[in-house]
Amino acid sequence: MELIHTEALDSGIHVLTFDRPNSGANIFDVETLTELDAKVSDIGQSATGIVFISAKPSIFIAGADLRALESLTGDALRDFIALGQSVFNRIAALPCPTVAAIHGACVGGGYELCLACRRRIATAARATKIGLPETQLGILPAWGGSTRLPRLIGLQNALDIILGGKTVPAKAALKRGMIDDIAPQESLRDAALQWLAKPTPAKRRRHSLDRLSVKVIEPIARRRMLEKSRGHYPALPKALEVITLGINDSIAVSLQREREAVLELAATPECRNLIRVFHLQERAKKLRVPGAGTPAPIARVAVIGAGLMGASIAQWLSARGLRVLMRDIDPERVADGMRRVSGLYRDAVKRRLLDATEARDGMDRISPVTGETPLDAVDLVIEAAVEKMDLKKRIFARLDETTPPHTLLATNTSALSITQLATSTSHPERVVGIHFFNPVHRMPLVEVITGNGTSTETAASALRFVQAIGKMPVLVHDSPGFLVNRILLPYMVEAADLFAQGGAVQEIDSAMLDFGMPMGPLRLTDEVGLDVAQDVAATLAAAFPGHMHLPAVLDRMLAGKLLGKKSGRGFYLQSKGKTVPNPDAAKYRDSSSGPVPDRAGMQRRMALLMVNEAARCIAEKVVAEPADVDFAMIMGAGFAPFRGGPLRYADSLGAPAVVDALRAEAAQSGAHFTPCDLLQEMSAANRRFYDDP
Amino acid sequence: MSDPLVIVEGVRTPFCKAGSDLAALAADELGRIAVDALLTKTGFDPALVDEVIFGCVCQPVEAQNVARVIALRAGLPQSSTAATVHRNCASGFEAITTAAERLLSGHGSIFIVGGTESMSQVPLIYTKEAAKKFGALTRARGYAGKLAAIAAFRPWDFKPRVALKLGLTDPVSGLNMGETAEVLAREFRISRARQDEFALLSHQRAAAAEARLAEEICPVYLPGGKAAHPVVRDHGPRPNQSMEALAKLKPVFDRRHGSVTAGNSSQITDGAVALLVMAESQAAALGLKPIGRLAGWAYTGCDPARMGLGPVSAIRKLQDATGHGAGSVELIEINEAFAAQVLAVLQSLADVPEDRLNVNGGAIALGHPVGATGARLTLTALKELGRRGGGRAIVSACVGGGQGAALLLERL
Repeated sequence: MELIHTEALDSGIHVLTFDRPNSGANIFDVETLTELDAKVSDIGQSATGIVFISAKPSIFIAGADLRALESLTGDALRDFIALGQSVFNRIAALPCPTVAAIHGACVGGGYELCLACRRRIATAARATKIGLPETQLGILPAWGGSTRLPRLIGLQNALDIILGGKTVPAKAALKRGMIDDIAPQESLRDAALQWLAKPTPAKRRRHSLDRLSVKVIEPIARRRMLEKSRGHYPALPKALEVITLGINDSIAVSLQREREAVLELAATPECRNLIRVFHLQERAKKLRVPGAGTPAPIARVAVIGAGLMGASIAQWLSARGLRVLMRDIDPERVADGMRRVSGLYRDAVKRRLLDATEARDGMDRISPVTGETPLDAVDLVIEAAVEKMDLKKRIFARLDETTPPHTLLATNTSALSITQLATSTSHPERVVGIHFFNPVHRMPLVEVITGNGTSTETAASALRFVQAIGKMPVLVHDSPGFLVNRILLPYMVEAADLFAQGGAVQEIDSAMLDFGMPMGPLRLTDEVGLDVAQDVAATLAAAFPGHMHLPAVLDRMLAGKLLGKKSGRGFYLQSKGKTVPNPDAAKYRDSSSGPVPDRAGMQRRMALLMVNEAARCIAEKVVAEPADVDFAMIMGAGFAPFRGGPLRYADSLGAPAVVDALRAEAAQSGAHFTPCDLLQEMSAANRRFYDDP
Repeated sequence: MSDPLVIVEGVRTPFCKAGSDLAALAADELGRIAVDALLTKTGFDPALVDEVIFGCVCQPVEAQNVARVIALRAGLPQSSTAATVHRNCASGFEAITTAAERLLSGHGSIFIVGGTESMSQVPLIYTKEAAKKFGALTRARGYAGKLAAIAAFRPWDFKPRVALKLGLTDPVSGLNMGETAEVLAREFRISRARQDEFALLSHQRAAAAEARLAEEICPVYLPGGKAAHPVVRDHGPRPNQSMEALAKLKPVFDRRHGSVTAGNSSQITDGAVALLVMAESQAAALGLKPIGRLAGWAYTGCDPARMGLGPVSAIRKLQDATGHGAGSVELIEINEAFAAQVLAVLQSLADVPEDRLNVNGGAIALGHPVGATGARLTLTALKELGRRGGGRAIVSACVGGGQGAALLLERL
């Protein structure tokens, strides 16, 4: 089976086209590398020039075969790495000029091939993305990328790309020097051949500057990296080391260092978990509801409510090409929403995600409306009004009357029962929850919540819709707090309790930053709003009185008008442009406070509460599988990805250890720590959440 | 007409004085807002629209054929067509009658028509001499050449020509619009006091009609800004306008002997209007109930120096064609370009009942975004006929350059 076609032109130029059969992508597995090696060897001495190009519509080469990375160990893995290095070395050493003609995704090993060529030409298509994101999977570029990229674009620039795990579009890549030229897709091959007809020498950088500046750059890069990663991602310091040492060594020595580093990193649990997260993302993109047909696409959406969430959702949908009707009760509210939308578009243009015309087209797709207008052409309604059941019920009853039968009626509620809401309509089968997270433009997760009456067709349509707008869904069954908020709340409540007992704000938050959360729980509470957090806590306490309670300290702080970020002060406040702990908050602590656990103790309590609640969600069938829980917590709450999610984390400790630790906490601090039944069963039977090691 | 043009629905933006709330929105944006609001209000499928025809006098240079830009931005399919029409102050009428002509000639049966104008955004332009020097500067090569080109400029090269002023001046007669009103004020002996009285009436009626006019207005949401500030009503009408206030104003076009002031002239205004119109048979087939029908129209030519009299000949010609004149209809709209001009028309026609004329105020209070006005008069008249249980209306305007326009509308 041929993976690469060779074409010999009269001029002696050879065109090597990557075209993996039965696949939309090209990847570098052992077969492909071996074939490439053989073909380059064959033509290497006689060719007057070589073009590397892809036949795939939107992928150049998508990198190394992840399965090889996951399944190979020891010598087999070492050989795989060595193979890639030697093939690219062969290409780099060819006497004839070589050019990579790039259209589509060109990342990891795919771009490392390009680094071994003398020239790189790319299309400026949307699909074209160039970079070395290996550190995001817990490894580093080990096919010459860590060695050749700094020599091409400079130390600082290369560190930015590799440590940041960034992939950039063609224009940015050109600016950084990662490619040499941009050509339209129709003339990409011709542009490559044109250059080969009159090849220019390879760009020589003034390497000496880097050799000196590395002494200055390295410590700064190290400090910045540690600040962000808090020591959790071993790939980062390793990559930094390999790159900065490699500057002052020969290519051969640097490549050797790359090999050793990747072998070491591939064996780490962090790497394993990060690759799992990657697979979970792919799984979410392809998730289907079993038993449902192919749902019709959704083209027009009505968003009811132009508040923070309504406007953010409307902006996201309009940016993805959907026509959106954004409705609220009066022009002032609609105006607020439109202002928020235009602010979001302005930011997107500033961050170069969109150009000014795309932003204007997005704004044009939003029709602002007060009062009722015909909804016959609307395929989906997303209600994002105030979180009050009777108001929502009235809205849904009216929507039930004023929309055609095919229209899906969805709610963005984060707390109210979908099943109950559906009873206000005569067709509960078309009612579903589509729950976005805040901020909409940054949070990729969306919970798709089925009520007792929701049909499979509706669930399937909602799922496809979420995927079509570039978000990643998790299918959840209607239950208080759904999935993510349910697991987060006891964690946030515990943080508040620790504070009430005398814990320092920064200690509590640092404990969880150390654990790997992106934000501390008290900071998160501020961001969400103490009022919102308390509301959700109340809902959950009412639904699960056995193990959820309301933290009295939040009530006291709310009475003192400490609402968090929205009122400018909560656990933290803004002072001279920085966020610092609010000294006033101290007076809301409990009058009698006992001993407060140390940082490790705090971390243990908060992390285990999340694990316990996550286990309950499995037991109660809120979601179908542990993978759903872990995926949702990572993508929706930023749960330490390198730990693989709360249930992977539980497996890493082992159920017996988790149960023992929870029992110990329960004895000390209260029954709400009692391990749930599922965990106790698993401990007794020595079962794990996951079957794979 | 066997299958006349009917008006199914209409929407307009608030009308705001130039330089105020809508000044930041270009004419295509204003038009898009009106068309989008129309489609949303009616739930009408944009894919069914054959053509968009909009009146616009000062077309934005960045949006030439503003009707097409509006159509595509408002979500009409690329396969629809669009044309922008220009008959000066009657451009809004021209859009409607052009659609009727398309219908008659078999070139479409469902249209979105209207008008849009941003008089705030009419540009300032360089003099021809200055433009030549800029051209020379661009072509100059080398430092010496560029320096020499720069040295050719003089201070007066940077004094811009105000295109708005130029646009409001008729090149054939050499008079600007206000000056033509002064001609009529003199010839028909219309005193300053009478003009001010007429202006006051316009404001009083418009102010009293605010709630009624709100039925045809869609809110405009301004981009950016610190405070959310939807524009929801016309800015022109002054509820506490008074003869004293009007008397304080000085004549603008003839400072020494004139009587036409800013207070008794139409306001320079931004705004857009969109109407969904179609063949009567189409409306029936789609199950739509129109708000009115176009029963006839007339355009006439007259002396550019006395363009204000245009409605006289136009209304007479309309009467000859349809049998309906000012005396036999329920409502009359004569665009209030200037109080003097309307009063001169009233004197000439002699059979216009005052209690049926411009009953909800006119351009003196509401403003005159030149490309849109004809469509607004049509919309306002039809809405008012609806409130009065039906009947007929004549809507008319004088046209810079020496024309008159008049449409006969029916709501039965």
